[in-house]
Amino acid sequence: MRSIDQIICLWVTPICAVLIVLAFIFFPGFMPPMSPTMSETEVAEFFRENVSAIRWSMVTFNLFDVMFLSMFVVAGVQMKRMATPSPALAYAFIGSTASVVTLFTVADLMWLVAAFRPERSPEITVLLNDMAWIFFVTPVGLFASMCGFLATAIFLDARPDPVLPRWVAWLNIGAALLTLPSVLSVVVLSGPFAWDGVFSFWLRWIVFAAYVTLMFFALRNAIKRQDAAEEAIA
Amino acid sequence: MTAQAAALTTEVTSVPDRYREATIRDQVWLFWCIPGFFAVFGLVFVVLARVMPPPAPGKSSAEIIEFFQAHGFTIQIGFVILIIVTGLFNILNGLMTVHLKRTTHGKTFAYAFLFAQTVGVTPGLLLPGVAMLAGALRPERSPELLVTLYDMTFLTFVGSLGCFVTAYIPLIAAILLDKNKIFPRWFAYVSIWNLVTEFVAVPVFFFRDGAFAWDGAISFWVDTAVFVVWQNAILIQLFRTINRQPPGMAYPD
Repeated sequence: MRSIDQIICLWVTPICAVLIVLAFIFFPGFMPPMSPTMSETEVAEFFRENVSAIRWSMVTFNLFDVMFLSMFVVAGVQMKRMATPSPALAYAFIGSTASVVTLFTVADLMWLVAAFRPERSPEITVLLNDMAWIFFVTPVGLFASMCGFLATAIFLDARPDPVLPRWVAWLNIGAALLTLPSVLSVVVLSGPFAWDGVFSFWLRWIVFAAYVTLMFFALRNAIKRQDAAEEAIA
Repeated sequence: MTAQAAALTTEVTSVPDRYREATIRDQVWLFWCIPGFFAVFGLVFVVLARVMPPPAPGKSSAEIIEFFQAHGFTIQIGFVILIIVTGLFNILNGLMTVHLKRTTHGKTFAYAFLFAQTVGVTPGLLLPGVAMLAGALRPERSPELLVTLYDMTFLTFVGSLGCFVTAYIPLIAAILLDKNKIFPRWFAYVSIWNLVTEFVAVPVFFFRDGAFAWDGAISFWVDTAVFVVWQNAILIQLFRTINRQPPGMAYPD
C-alpha cells in the first residue's frame, strides 16, 4: 500500500459515481430527458410539480459531481510517470479536467436556481433550464481534449512496461469521438442531436459511464504495478 | 567555455531518468497546434460569431433582438466550432507550465499560471458562449431576457479580469526572477502591458458608450491590439524556448 494517496483518490470516484447515478435516476428531468421543444407553460409546470425531487437530486449531484476530478488527478499522476519526452501533456490534461468538472457544477446550480422559486415568470425558468442543459450537454471539447492528451501520452510512453496499456489510449479516443456529436445540441431542438436525443443524451452519458468505469480499472492496475515495481527496488 | 555552454553541459550530463527520450518531439507537435487554435479562435470570433469587434452596448432592445435574429445561425456555427476546440487552449498552458517550472522559482509560479488560466476558461470563454447560444437558440424569448443574455455575453467575455491578472503576475514574476534564462526578459515586459489591459478593461462595467465601453477605442481596440501582440510574443518565445532547451534534459518534477 505504498500509493495509499492514489488509492484513496481513485476510490472516491466510484463511491461518488454511485451517488451521482442515484441522483440522476431521481432527477425528474432525466427519466426521460426533458425535451427542448417543451412550451414555457410545460417547463414552468414541470418545475412547480417536481420541486422537491429536483432539489434533492441536484443537491446530491452538487455535493459529489466534482469528485470525478479525484480519479482524473490519479490519471495525471500516472501520466507524469510515463516516459514521454516532456510532461507537457500531463499538465494540459490536468488543466482540462478542472474545466470538465466545473461545467457539471454550473449546470447543477442553474437547475437549483430554477427550482428555488418555481413560481417565477415561466420565461425566466425556461432560460435557466436552457442554460443548465447547454452547460450540461454541450461543452464537450474540454472532455475530448482531456481524452486526446491522455491518449497521445500513452502512445508516446516509451517505457518497456508502459504505465497504461494501449487499449486505454483507444478507449480515450473512442470516448472523445462518441461524445463530440452532442455539441450539436445547441443548434437543433429535436432529433438525435437535440439535448434529449439518442446521441446527445443517451449515447453520451452511457459512454461517459463506461469511460469512468474502464478508467477506474486501468488506473487501479497502474497503481498496483507501480507499487510492485517500487517494492522490487526497495 | 562560456558560462552558457557550461550550464548546458551540466544539464545534459545530469539526466537521472533513463526513460526520458532525448527528444522534444511531443513539444514541437503540441506547439504547432497553438497557431491553429488561435486561427480558429479568430475565425470564430471575428467572422462567425460577431463577437469581435463587439456590437455596441448602447443598442436598443429592438436592435439586440435583431442582432440575435440576423446572426443566430453563424453564432451557432461559430460557437459549435469553438466548443470543439476549447480544450486545445490547455496545450499552451501545458507547454508554458513545463518551461516555467525550469525557471529559478518556477515550481509555485508554474502552477499558479496553469490553474488561473484553467479557471479563466469557464467565465471568460464558456459562459459568454453559453449565454450567446441560449439567445440564438430561442430568439423569440422576451426582449428583456435577450438583452440580459447580450450583456452577459459581452461583460463576461471582455470582463473576466481576475483570472488573467492571477495568471500573468506569476508569469511575469517567474521570468523576471529567473536566473536560468529560460524565457527572454522582453516577454515579461510585453506581459506587463497585457496585465495592464486587464485593469484598463475595468470601466466596461460602468459605461455603455465612449472609449471605455466594451466596444470602445480603449477598452476594446487598445486592449485587443496589446493582446494580439502578446499572443504573437508568447508563440515566438515559446518556439525559441522549446528549441533552445538541451536535448534529453530531465524536467523538474
